[in-house]
Amino acid sequence: MAHELLSGFSAAEVNQVLALGSHLTVPFGGSLFRLGDRADSLFLIERGRIHLTFPMVVRGKEEDVFFEEKSAGQTVGWSAMVSPYRFTLSASAPLETEVIALPREALGAFCERSPEAGRKICLNLAVLVGQRLQLVQAMWMREMQHVVELKSANAATKG
Amino acid sequence: MDMLLMGLCFTFIGLAVTAMAFAASTRPKATSPKMQPELPATKVVPARFFSERVTPSIPTHIQVPIEVLLQQIENHIRLEQAAAESFVAYPNHTLLHSKTTSPFVN
Repeated sequence: MAHELLSGFSAAEVNQVLALGSHLTVPFGGSLFRLGDRADSLFLIERGRIHLTFPMVVRGKEEDVFFEEKSAGQTVGWSAMVSPYRFTLSASAPLETEVIALPREALGAFCERSPEAGRKICLNLAVLVGQRLQLVQAMWMREMQHVVELKSANAATKG
Repeated sequence: MDMLLMGLCFTFIGLAVTAMAFAASTRPKATSPKMQPELPATKVVPARFFSERVTPSIPTHIQVPIEVLLQQIENHIRLEQAAAESFVAYPNHTLLHSKTTSPFVN
C-alpha cells in the first residue's frame, strides 16, 4: 500500500514511520472522529473508505452531510498536525475500514531524529493541505456565483 | 251590428284567455332557495383547443423523505467537487463557472 503522506520514502523509511502507528479497524457505520474532538493522531487508510462529513440543519434537525470521500492510501485527520489540534470535520466509515493511527508526538520525534524524512513528510503534508485549500476555494467561488445568480433572479422577479 | 260587436267581444275574450294560458305555461317556476338542489363544486377547467390531452396536475411542493434529500445534497456536493477539481487542474473562467446537472443549481 502506497501512502500519499509517505510519497518519496524508501521502503525502510516507510516501515519506520508505519511502526510508529497502531492499526485500527473502524466497523461499518462506525465513527473515526467527530468535529471538535482533540486531534492527537492523523490516519493513513489501509483498506476501505472514510467519509468526511459536516453538520447541517436539515428540516430543523442536525444531520451529518457528506463532504469528501477518502480511500486506501489517502490521509485523514491532518488537523492533528495543525494548531489548535481539533478536528474540523467528522469522519466515519461507510464500510469496514482499516487505518493506521499516527500520533503527532511520535511523528514529531521521528522527524527530529530523521530531518530528511521530516522534510519529506512536511512537503507531502503541504500538498494535502494545499489541495484541500484549492478545492474548497474553487467550490466557494462557484457557490458565490450561484448566490449572485439567485439574488439577481429574485430581484428580476420582484421588479 | 249587435251580432258583430258580440262576436268581436268573444274574440277578444278568447284571445285574452289564450294569452294568459300561454304566459302561465311558459313562465319559469319560482322555487325557494331551500328547494334548490346542491350542485357539486367543480374545478374550472381551462379550454383546450387543439389537444384533448389532459395535463396532469402536479403538486407545487412535494415533501421528499429526509434520506432522499440527504442523498440529493451528497450528489450535489460530489458534482460540485468534481467541477472544482476540473477547475483546479486547468484553471480558467469557463471551468470555474461550468454548470453541473445538480438540481440544486438548475
